Amino acid sequence: MYPPRVALANEDLRFQTPRAWKSWAFVAVPVVGMIELGAHVAQTCSVAPERDWRAAREYVAQEAKPGDLVAFAPRWADPIGRERFGARLATVEREGRPDETRFPRAFEVAIRGAHLPELAGWRNGAARRFGAVTVTTRENPAPASVLDDLVSMVTPDRLRVSRVDGDRETECSFQRSAPSSGGLGFGPAIPGDRFTCAAGGFVATSVAADLDYRARRCIYAPPPGESASLRLRFSGVRFGHALHGHHALYVEAERDRRGAPVSITFKAGHSTLGSLVHADGDGWKGFELDTGELAGQVADLVVDIASASGDRRMYCFEADTR
Amino acid sequence: MKLPDRIGWRDHVVGAALALAYLAWLLATVRSVGIPRDEGMYFRAASDYVGWWRLLLEHGGEALRQSTIDSSFGYNHEHPALMKTLFGVSWWLLHEKWHVFTDASTAYRFPAMCTAAAAVWTTYLFGARAWTRRAGLVAAALFALMPRVFFHAHLACFDVPITAMWLLCVYAHWRAQETRGYGWAIATGIVFGLALETKHNAWMLPFVLVPHALLVNRHALWRGLRGGQVTLPTSVVSMAILGPAVFYALWPYLWNDTLARLQWYVSFHLNHDYYNIEFLGKNYFGPPSPPGYLPVMVLATVPTVTLLLFSIGAIERARDGCRRLSGWLLAILRKRADEWPARDPRETDLLLFLAIAVAVGPFFLPKTPIFGGTKHWMPAYPFLALFAGRGFDLTWAALGRALPSLAPRRAVALQAALGASVLLPPLAVTAHAHPFGLSSYVPLVGGTAGGADLGLNRQFWGYTTQNAAAEYLNDRAPPGATVFIHDTTWDAWSHMQEEKRIRGDLRAAGAPHESQIALVQHELHMNEVDYSIWTAFGTDAPAYIVEHDGVPIVSIYRRP
Repeated sequence: MYPPRVALANEDLRFQTPRAWKSWAFVAVPVVGMIELGAHVAQTCSVAPERDWRAAREYVAQEAKPGDLVAFAPRWADPIGRERFGARLATVEREGRPDETRFPRAFEVAIRGAHLPELAGWRNGAARRFGAVTVTTRENPAPASVLDDLVSMVTPDRLRVSRVDGDRETECSFQRSAPSSGGLGFGPAIPGDRFTCAAGGFVATSVAADLDYRARRCIYAPPPGESASLRLRFSGVRFGHALHGHHALYVEAERDRRGAPVSITFKAGHSTLGSLVHADGDGWKGFELDTGELAGQVADLVVDIASASGDRRMYCFEADTR
Repeated sequence: MKLPDRIGWRDHVVGAALALAYLAWLLATVRSVGIPRDEGMYFRAASDYVGWWRLLLEHGGEALRQSTIDSSFGYNHEHPALMKTLFGVSWWLLHEKWHVFTDASTAYRFPAMCTAAAAVWTTYLFGARAWTRRAGLVAAALFALMPRVFFHAHLACFDVPITAMWLLCVYAHWRAQETRGYGWAIATGIVFGLALETKHNAWMLPFVLVPHALLVNRHALWRGLRGGQVTLPTSVVSMAILGPAVFYALWPYLWNDTLARLQWYVSFHLNHDYYNIEFLGKNYFGPPSPPGYLPVMVLATVPTVTLLLFSIGAIERARDGCRRLSGWLLAILRKRADEWPARDPRETDLLLFLAIAVAVGPFFLPKTPIFGGTKHWMPAYPFLALFAGRGFDLTWAALGRALPSLAPRRAVALQAALGASVLLPPLAVTAHAHPFGLSSYVPLVGGTAGGADLGLNRQFWGYTTQNAAAEYLNDRAPPGATVFIHDTTWDAWSHMQEEKRIRGDLRAAGAPHESQIALVQHELHMNEVDYSIWTAFGTDAPAYIVEHDGVPIVSIYRRP
């Protein structure tokens, strides 16, 4: 029949252990157990307390200028940073920044020794520790000087929006109404202040999740599709040597890589500054157009946005002159 | 007291005691686990299903009309009916009728908790029979003290029940190989049917049991074939006959349009949607699934000391298996049957390895969705724990050999310390993880914060709305406030309100702009909802954050 259970169990209860050290190898088990327990206690007791965050906030509030960046590391701590620092320091402009080039200085508020990779090339300044929270001041080695930020110009006094259907151009009126938003899959919220086109379409400043699920404050301007396009006329734009910007679609609209490309064309006066295409999967894609010929001038900037399809073309862009 | 060598009723007492202790712990902590999305659906289905059974008992034939069956079982027919029926029976008897449980949700959840307890019991028995009682005890405890198992064991879902059924089926089959009687073979078939009726993982069980049965019975099979007969192992025959019969009999939805509905069921699971899940900082929402997902998640969620013991036990058994295999091959080459190495006629090691390999194998395939986190391969965990029990036995024996002349009292103290060193860490980690079982990670990866650093999934199912209520909404929300409930379902929200986990005057809203207070249950792909709230509320600063070890779980925004 079968060998008795205990015999079966015990027959091999010993490893073949010719060397002395092997006979003590079992100690690894309790050692690992105790290390695990100790690490658990250490990890659960090392959470940054609220007072450390508050102290860091006081410091940053005193030191930071409006043009400085305030950012939190690691990235997952961002909601805590926003809650502890408040919307005046952790502004939507800072949180939804297109990139870091415009900021001359950054206050990196960090826990767990983390750093933001996007600030890696910046010069390290003072680091102040507030318990478990460290604030590091970093200097941008080559900050850009922004003249005009189009995202801040989505107002009725600086922007006119129209929908172009073939040869016909129809003005889209600026409206103040309730915002519109939803859950997962809805796309960026549509703010109450927006340009609305009677035949369909809108333009507004919103915050979109890009392909990396990062916040991007941008001009939400979904193209109507087919033969129609959106035209945005920014008035009195101060030009420098470059038009610097980014564009993307809301993550769930472009991550499957099935949608029609979206084109954006920038014109000033009678000249086309440049035309760019965003294909699904490109993500938050940067561009820079040479505006050297217009440097120092103030002119209207016309932006045309078009796509062969309007199906979930939840397009968003941002640009500034510098 | 010294127990007899033979495993018997006393061991059932020990197993039952372990199971009851686990069940008591689950019951003591169940109210602090919010109601996830899926549970809301299963509660509803449970009530529908038990309603049908009551109709059948009270009105007989009327209940057997297709229209009646379909109206009761048509809801959530992508999963079989067994557990939902048990959830419903428990709800009807223990909440509605006898008022044993104040919370309906606890009554719905009770059968799944019982399956968790049954799994602990069976793990002990399996370990005690296969190795030693000590191994069984440690295996049962280490299985119970896996944080993810503990979390899922609270829920009226199918992941822990299928884990228990998988284990029970393998155990019954194993016993059938040992006893050679019909009892355990019939039990194997019935439990296989119950497993099929619990969750679709069970369709993979034949890949564990059939090869094992064929190997164990190879001599009889060979003799039969030489005599012109095919002699199949009884447990396999039982599975083939009783399994589908039980599956069909307990799922009234299949009683009509059987083939079409079966086809739909198979197709649904073969072509399941890919939900979003974060892994190492990347959001996966379709194939190919990352091949490293399972190993990394096991390392990050199963206590390290458990994995170490598993490695010790599994390597030792694998090494023994290799030694036997090479001895057998040598004996064949020398044509010396008398030199064949001794073997376990039940082939326990092979069975345990197969039970793990088949449970985890699909998760190395690029087309297998990974959205369930670790819960979809939990059927492997009791077997992982069994090898860990064996590993503990080996460690225990090594301790005895290293200090042979130790005074008995000191030896007992050292043995107790050894036991504590392997049981206390999982206990501490599991207890601390509650109720954020899906957010927490083991110390090896830095705990909850380490998991966040690595970019591992924070949670799913939107069940942490209850924590938002406990920490903020119930005390600070204005009377009658509208709350955007994000990933929480309406069903789950209303259950939590009915049970006074969430204030009854608060009104759920489906969009941030319709609400005064908005919740975000943090997951990478849910960031878009966070940003929508910024626009809808005109602020990006949450009013409060539910945290676990300093990691954001739920952000709560309040309209300025």
